Amino acid sequence: MKDAKKTLEVRVQRTIPASPGEVFDGWLNPTVPGNPWNAAEKFILEPKVDGLFFWTLNDTSHYGRFTDVERPARIQHTWVSPKTLGEESIVTLTFQKKGEDTLMTLEHSGIPDTDAGRGHEKGWNHFLDIFPGQFGNGSRKEK
Amino acid sequence: MDQLSDVLTAISHPTRRAIIGQLANGPARFLDIAKPFDTALNAVTKHLKLLERAGLIEREKRGREVLISLRGEPLREVAGWVHEYERFWNERLDQFEQHFRNKKKEKK
Repeated sequence: MKDAKKTLEVRVQRTIPASPGEVFDGWLNPTVPGNPWNAAEKFILEPKVDGLFFWTLNDTSHYGRFTDVERPARIQHTWVSPKTLGEESIVTLTFQKKGEDTLMTLEHSGIPDTDAGRGHEKGWNHFLDIFPGQFGNGSRKEK
Repeated sequence: MDQLSDVLTAISHPTRRAIIGQLANGPARFLDIAKPFDTALNAVTKHLKLLERAGLIEREKRGREVLISLRGEPLREVAGWVHEYERFWNERLDQFEQHFRNKKKEKK
């Protein structure tokens, strides 16, 4: 019997002082600091459904394909890197209007667990529940 | 095994997690640690050895007693590993947010 693969998920949120359209465009503009392509030594970016991206930093290459590009509300693309063990993980960004600002949510799901971590996720969650003080400033992780 | 693997192994068992939970309240003697568990003392000894190998506990002799206490540092290493992508995205989004804050200031 084949075990289902265990995966990890990361979720981060920010309130950005700009409209959803500006934030959406900023995320796909390599000249804007903070998006993945801005820090890249080399990159290719084709932000449309079935478009591909590539970027490399410190000899680490990242690849993906866009699966949803819906201005100004949502971007979704796959994410493949050595840290995902070559598997496709999924990055989903949503941009929601919040007064004059935009609530930006980034979810990175399907990050493969490694051999070392397999079977220990419950242990981590348990630890995160009972020892928040031991983990320093990790409180922004939601799941 | 590396230390991270030792720590992950150590926290994979409910009894060992319960021991850590107990020690989070402060150092304890071996028999006090073993008391809540319906298990043989040598099983508790084995659990403590695994926790010690992972660097999660340390023993200190005080007079005739040996006190066992929790060390939090290896847990932070686990947290760092679990949260590697969280840290990456938080750093990116911090810069992204700052860019828009600077832009807004310039407009004023």
